[in-house]
Amino acid sequence: MAKYILVRTLWVFIILFVILSMTFVLLNLAPQYPPADEDQREIWYAQQVRDGFMSRRVVTDPDEMEAIRNEEAGLHDNAFVVDDDDRLEVFEPVPVGQSYRNWITNVLTEFNWGTSTRVRVNVDAFSILANRIPVTAQLNLIALAFYIPTGFGIGILAALKKNSLVDNLIQIFIMVFLSLPLFVVMTFFLFIFGYQLGWLDTAFPAATVRGTTRYLAFILPVLGLSLNTVAGLTRLTRAELTEVLTSDFLLLARTKGLTRPQSVVRHAMRNSMVPLVPFIIFSFVGLLSGSVVIEQIYGIPGTGRVLLDAMTPNNYDHNLVLVTLAFYTVIGLFAILIVDLTYGLVDPRIRMGAKK
Amino acid sequence: MIDKEQDTKIQQDISHSEFEFVQRDEKIFDKKFETKPVGYFKDAMTRFAKNRANVVATIILFTLITSSILVPVLTTKNFTSQEPAVAALPPRVPIVEHFGFVDGTRSYSDRTVDLETIDEDGLGIPAGFDREFVAEGSLTNTTSVCTSRTSDSCVGGQNIIGLRGQSTQTSVVSDESFDFVRDDQPVIEFDIENILIDGTLLNVELNIGDDTDEDWRQFASFDEEGVVSFEVFEALDELDLDEDIDEFSSPIQFEIVAEIPRVNIALNSVSIYQNGEEEPFYSASGFDLAQYQLSAPASTGNFRRANGEQIVASFDYDVYAEAMGVRDPGAYSARDTYQLLEENQDICSLDGVDIDFDNVDYDDAQQLIGMEFSDTCPINNIYDVSSPIERDGETYFNFRLELNYAQYMGYDDIPYFLFGTTRSGHDLFALTWLALRTSLLVGLLVGTINITIGIIYGSISGYYGGKVDIGMERFTEVISRIPWLLTLALATAWLGASLWSLVIVLTLSGWVSVSSTTRTQFYRYKGREYVLASRTLGAKDSRLIFRHILPNGIGTIITASILMIPQVIFAESTISFLGFGIGHGQTFNIFGFELSGVSIGVLLADGRSELVYNPHLTIAPAIIVSILMITFNMFGNALRDAFNPTLRGSE
Repeated sequence: MAKYILVRTLWVFIILFVILSMTFVLLNLAPQYPPADEDQREIWYAQQVRDGFMSRRVVTDPDEMEAIRNEEAGLHDNAFVVDDDDRLEVFEPVPVGQSYRNWITNVLTEFNWGTSTRVRVNVDAFSILANRIPVTAQLNLIALAFYIPTGFGIGILAALKKNSLVDNLIQIFIMVFLSLPLFVVMTFFLFIFGYQLGWLDTAFPAATVRGTTRYLAFILPVLGLSLNTVAGLTRLTRAELTEVLTSDFLLLARTKGLTRPQSVVRHAMRNSMVPLVPFIIFSFVGLLSGSVVIEQIYGIPGTGRVLLDAMTPNNYDHNLVLVTLAFYTVIGLFAILIVDLTYGLVDPRIRMGAKK
Repeated sequence: MIDKEQDTKIQQDISHSEFEFVQRDEKIFDKKFETKPVGYFKDAMTRFAKNRANVVATIILFTLITSSILVPVLTTKNFTSQEPAVAALPPRVPIVEHFGFVDGTRSYSDRTVDLETIDEDGLGIPAGFDREFVAEGSLTNTTSVCTSRTSDSCVGGQNIIGLRGQSTQTSVVSDESFDFVRDDQPVIEFDIENILIDGTLLNVELNIGDDTDEDWRQFASFDEEGVVSFEVFEALDELDLDEDIDEFSSPIQFEIVAEIPRVNIALNSVSIYQNGEEEPFYSASGFDLAQYQLSAPASTGNFRRANGEQIVASFDYDVYAEAMGVRDPGAYSARDTYQLLEENQDICSLDGVDIDFDNVDYDDAQQLIGMEFSDTCPINNIYDVSSPIERDGETYFNFRLELNYAQYMGYDDIPYFLFGTTRSGHDLFALTWLALRTSLLVGLLVGTINITIGIIYGSISGYYGGKVDIGMERFTEVISRIPWLLTLALATAWLGASLWSLVIVLTLSGWVSVSSTTRTQFYRYKGREYVLASRTLGAKDSRLIFRHILPNGIGTIITASILMIPQVIFAESTISFLGFGIGHGQTFNIFGFELSGVSIGVLLADGRSELVYNPHLTIAPAIIVSILMITFNMFGNALRDAFNPTLRGSE
């Protein structure tokens, strides 16, 4: 077992390392969009030199200055020149390999992810992300707290009342919400409850708003975010519980004198839980990427919003994108790790990595 | 038991000679089944047809797909031009419109009425609307409280001069100057609604200097509520000035002076009376009074309005009649007018008009002025012509005319836009199907790529097994662990927002599920006897894979992969909705299919910001895509269940 855990953990770190390295290299080679403002840009390039992603050299040779000014010197596309009349300051990107090494060193030793270039110019990228995490975390945790009991409840109800009217209605609910894209559901909710009925806010209130307004503001995004997952959990719970309810050991439980509720709670439920645990952990990753869409529609200043802002075409903010992607990747991979481990722990029938 | 024992006894007594063959001369064949044989597909079909809901879903799905192919072909509309005149019309559906539902009217509520429009019934409509198109009997007026200082529709009420912060003094000055002449005996009257705090004063000041050399003097000071007044020149005399003034010009300035901060005085009106007349020479209240400006720094106080009343109207407005009726386009060039008339010569009665349409001549054109055409002609009437300009030997001039807009746009009558029109004036119905076609084609394209890659990868992995399989499985694990946001970010960084970045995002890990299904199928079939037999006969790997194993598993693989298409549409519309996929103005040519840059996600992204005033832009496409997704999923599930009976019950 210990070996299994070790191998899985190691494997997750390897995947994380591969994905992030690949992302860094690909982003590093993509067109750069340094800050638009002249002064800010100089600060940013100085920062790049400090972080080891660019080299700075001063050109005083008149011929070379002339060549650079006429763009004949064959400088790198991402090079930047500060013209001081009698001398030129040339910032050039260092080779990918070297900047990759510097990047790893910066991240591992100082946790330095570079500064933002477009979203909030020259502000530490990680601190921008860190500011946004609480709202996203709040949203996702509330959604989690809402959807697990709801999904279980409806699923159990459907399984116990199989083939009745209630079950059929639940089946329709499952079909509808599993099929509809999140943004369609969210738009419908926004239209009905926000604009037509006017019960709830049509956009997320500012951070300064406290109290009831702020709590009410979570209703729509949580519903929009989780109904898809509720439908998934309901379907799984119903399928698992239906299968268990028809099994022999449940018949035995009834024959030995347990009432139906007793047999369901003590025997059926526990056995049907096994495949649900991994589903729930996986679904958290799904919620997190779904919240990107919800945050965009409802104007929630979370991590998804910051990622989409940083990804705006022709206004790309590399460092911020990189750190946000790292955040999403880490959460996704560790969720998978937990799933792998619980598979082994929860269900004794599955012994992954065991010797045959 | 006893019977059986007897039976055996009886049988034992039969001699050999008594036995004979029943069918000595006949050959014995296998007996035919009483029931008809049921093939694999027929069996699947039976199971498929058993579920009524799935059949209905399938029919709806294929109707949608057919419509998405036919509608864009049948409506050869130009979706690149802008038609602002018919922009954002609400839906209008034949037959249903008679029930007062989707009838092409737009409901307005609580719009401030322009007071000049109030008719003999006492009902008015807001500015910018034409009474002709207000649905009969739908117009209601109510009054509501307003505090606007800029709208002259807001009448009456008080104007409040108030103190801000820690300030105890602020002043307000009138927007115009008045001439005060001693002989007119001018009296300035204030109607003060309330002064709540004792010790608060309202001081009135007038400027007895001139514009360049201002000399403000306090003329009066009031501290009680009600109508108060003072005679200007009496007050002036009391000031004991060095020189006599018989005439001066000044705005009226009044200030509030209080002992404590945050005090208000509410004023009803300011009036000037002359010569003891009953009627005021000048009176300002409500909106007029609200035009007075604060003359002290804004930090010291404010001048605001309260309890004003305005009339607001609620009504249904026939936007179709307005958009499609008689419209004046402003100047309309002579060449375009001639072209329009020439094309519609038969419809527009041009009796008695003798014009050479190919030759634009100013004198000739005079005979058109004042002409009224029939209702079916694109031009309603021509009422004027501008003076001509000569340039390079050509004459240019413009007609002033009115168009029958429906006819002008090529409709016989006011058209029905079933889903309404977009901001650019395009028929949303046609556009929705066009968008659906784009989404479906992208779904098909990406689905095909994913299924192809998945089958090839899964075949190799499943067929060879062992080390190859383990290595390939590890690779799929890494690929499928990459979040789609990351792929999207990288694709956007390299390619910008485009179809190709969309395709990359959707195919990078999209094939993994197909490949795992294929791999399972290969594990299931590769050990079978017929494969072994073929291998013994010397068949190569490729033959075993593609001629023996794959054909057996392909049914399961394809039916499991059908669900990929709605998933792709799902993802495509989400990404386009966020603005990173397809977008307006892009066109693509894929295998001869011309794709417009409009997908369902793009339509919904357009409608998102107009959810308040133009919900139809969102509702129609959202409902269509919802139906598509639901029916596609039901169809996919039904197909999978039909071909794989063991899956039944789990859905």
